Amino acid sequence: METKELQELVRKIFSDEETKCQFIANPESVLSKFSLTACEKEAVLRSQTKFGLINYNSLQLSTAVPLDNYWL
Amino acid sequence: MTQCQCDKFTKMLPNELDGILRDEVEILLAPLSDNTAFCALVKEALNKTNPNLIKDTAQYNRWPLLPLLVCDTICGNWERALSATAALQLLKSAADVFDDIEDADNTESIPAKYGIALAANTASVLVVLAEKGFTRLKGRGVNSKTVVKLIDTVNSYYAKACAGQHLDLSLAPEEITREDAYLKLIGMKSAFAAECACNTGALLAGANQDLINSFTTFGYHLGMAAQIANDINGITGLKDINNRKITLPVIFTLAQAGESHELLKSAFVENNSKYTCSPVQIKDLLVHSGAIQYSIIKMEIYKQQALSILIELERTGIGIEQLRQFLD
Repeated sequence: METKELQELVRKIFSDEETKCQFIANPESVLSKFSLTACEKEAVLRSQTKFGLINYNSLQLSTAVPLDNYWL
Repeated sequence: MTQCQCDKFTKMLPNELDGILRDEVEILLAPLSDNTAFCALVKEALNKTNPNLIKDTAQYNRWPLLPLLVCDTICGNWERALSATAALQLLKSAADVFDDIEDADNTESIPAKYGIALAANTASVLVVLAEKGFTRLKGRGVNSKTVVKLIDTVNSYYAKACAGQHLDLSLAPEEITREDAYLKLIGMKSAFAAECACNTGALLAGANQDLINSFTTFGYHLGMAAQIANDINGITGLKDINNRKITLPVIFTLAQAGESHELLKSAFVENNSKYTCSPVQIKDLLVHSGAIQYSIIKMEIYKQQALSILIELERTGIGIEQLRQFLD
């Protein structure tokens, strides 16, 4: 499941300040410029709603992923 | 599931089931009871895999209970999967010890503390005792044909995991820097555990093949999401950076052109110090490149796929609440 468009979207958001601002203000408007699957779009929007954009000091990082996983 | 059985199960969660699983593990370790030192070493290995298996840590961990939860979700009788659930924990612990022997990257591991010979023997007995655990299923009302099918299935999963480990050990770093190759690898050597657990629970519940397949696919997506969560923790906690382990966030940034690519290639692929960079600086670079964001999105995709399967199952009248909690 190689997802070039999804990779490109994330790269654009993190490398282009204008795109980042647009994404924060209106994620759908940025998503519409990329050929993402419905599942990918939903995951991007869900991630944005739950965690926002992750930066270095992001508090969300500590809650983004479970730490009680002894299986893996 | 009858109302009575459902109530019984709900009342037992979360801590009592941990205790019941602990008791079952203790039964499986009984053949070692006259050799205190060996038994202590085996318990130490189990403790490293999951401290709750040895003593009540008061920290509920639902993952080891996955086969029980799947079995109960389907047939309302988790007891049928108890021995297999304990056996799978022993197999997981054995795999962890073998992994520590092969990777030699953990100073607190069993092989690092006691040497390779004792570690290999510990892992071996965990495998043997796990096999004995599967044979205890007959006492839980599981017929011989199902027991044989289960042992065959579990062995197939572990054979696939060994093949994944072989790839991981033998491929050159540059060969696993493609996302599709990496995802295939973690599917084989990591996600298989949740996939196998769900398959086991469904099989022991007496589900038909379509239902077993649905739960197995759910387990695969759940396992992939969990491994990517581990990848994220490995970067934010610096462990994977210190060990120069190539995981999804690194692969994302490696695929970019520019200085970030060169730096990561030098550190992770060529394993040299052409660029002097601290682990924290590498973490900073990965975060700012969007690698953590991307990994979180990929994790969410797998979670959504797992949830879709649960929703389909719910439409057939199966209660999914216990399993849905894995996706929270």
